[in-house]
Amino acid sequence: MKNWRLIASGMNLGIPETNWELLAPVMDDLEAAFRPLISLIPFETEPAVIFQLFPHLP
Amino acid sequence: MTILEAVRLLRTKKVSSVELTQLSLHRIARLNPRLNAFITVTEERALSRARQADEELARGIDRGLLHGLPVAVKDVFSTKGVRTTCGSKIFAGFVPERDAAVVERLEAGGAVIVGKTNMHELAFGVTSNNPHFGPVRNPWNLDRVAGGSSGGSGAAVAAGMVFMAMGSDTGGSIRIPASFCGVTGLKPTFGRVSRFGVMPLDFSLDHMGPLTRSVRDAAVALSVIAGYDARDETSSRDPVGNYLAEDNTSMRSVRVGVPTNYYFEKLDPAAERSVRQAAKVAGELGAEIVEVTVPDIAAINVIGRVILHAEAAALMEPYLRRREDFGPDVLALLDQGRLLAATDYVNAQRLRRLKLQEFIRLFADVDCLFTPTTPTAAPRLGQAWFEFEGEKEDVRLSSTRFVRAVNVIGFPAISVPCGLDADGMPLGLQIIGGPFQEALILRVASALETASGRLRLPEL
Repeated sequence: MKNWRLIASGMNLGIPETNWELLAPVMDDLEAAFRPLISLIPFETEPAVIFQLFPHLP
Repeated sequence: MTILEAVRLLRTKKVSSVELTQLSLHRIARLNPRLNAFITVTEERALSRARQADEELARGIDRGLLHGLPVAVKDVFSTKGVRTTCGSKIFAGFVPERDAAVVERLEAGGAVIVGKTNMHELAFGVTSNNPHFGPVRNPWNLDRVAGGSSGGSGAAVAAGMVFMAMGSDTGGSIRIPASFCGVTGLKPTFGRVSRFGVMPLDFSLDHMGPLTRSVRDAAVALSVIAGYDARDETSSRDPVGNYLAEDNTSMRSVRVGVPTNYYFEKLDPAAERSVRQAAKVAGELGAEIVEVTVPDIAAINVIGRVILHAEAAALMEPYLRRREDFGPDVLALLDQGRLLAATDYVNAQRLRRLKLQEFIRLFADVDCLFTPTTPTAAPRLGQAWFEFEGEKEDVRLSSTRFVRAVNVIGFPAISVPCGLDADGMPLGLQIIGGPFQEALILRVASALETASGRLRLPEL
């Protein structure tokens, strides 16, 4: 599992020490559920983020 | 009284818009101290609009089915000159200089907005137990939550304060309060209703829709608010459907999918019974009931959480140094978003595309899906956990378990009342349709409502 405290500290997120008891297990669970899904993504799959260019705009 | 019943009274001059608006305002004044459904009541503005609506009707100007009817909007919808707090301390003093597109459309349709409804802080939660404006209480039982994040809208409709209240739905925030409060809640297809002027929680998951006392009323409201808006990049040019079709009693030729996996695990047996009973009624009304295996909903929920947390945290980044101005639950969710890697967000959006394709394939075999909206009825105020088969589950994760995935794929879904649990609290049926198939799910929901009768709302 990732060291969330260290990540937060490195990013200077200012998360108080008292919050970690609840936050770390939630992040561990999310990571454990999400990480295996990544191996299922075919290489050519593009993200579903919407970005549009309108030719009439400057 | 429903919208369509009020319209009849208004058009036959048995009642005026001013009278309906005064009734609404009196009811809000009487009940809001108990329910806390409204953050702001716009009495003066509403009465002025109601007078205008009456004058127009007298001159033969009819703006449609919402003309002259008191409605409300969740406090995420920008209202020109009226503060729009998003249920937060951060935006407590924000007074927009323009109306949201939905507000424009409602007012162009003659609706009378009587106020802004209370909600979960920043629309980021399922209880509407708001630390800054106080908790919204459930009209069925004041010790229970109204659901969230559009809890004030659900409570206001269930308590008869307004005929319709607008909500927003990023991970179930219209359907959950609809289910918990025993009313109808419609989340349209992504792009069907403009997001312009709505304070965002998540750019790619936010949907706008109505909460009403009947399915037909939801159809009326959608007819008014749906349509292309160039100011919202994600707005669809797909033609707006006829949501008020005459035949709302038959389900002939409709294929109703009932999942064999995921949706009937870890839930109150009463919720399962009520959904299966609804499927039985649908079959009696002519629908073909098809057992289906749905894609991995647990995985889609995880994908949705990664997207939501990352986008919400990005949005709120400039304010996160003011930690004391956030409620602890919302702050914890935003912190989760800040801890995610950029690669996780991109991969979640890639997975989203794959899961969307799986759902499109599923909908080749069915026209809609029947599922419970939530695994249980409303939890108590302050309740942190549900327990299923000896296992604890966080109230937020439990309440969003059956609804969040629909935001990830952007399909439309409606929650309609579907019986009561052992404590007499309402349960919801979720009907999920294919992209832009709002007319179909409204027809199916309306047929069920006609066959089973509308849920009698609590006396207050």
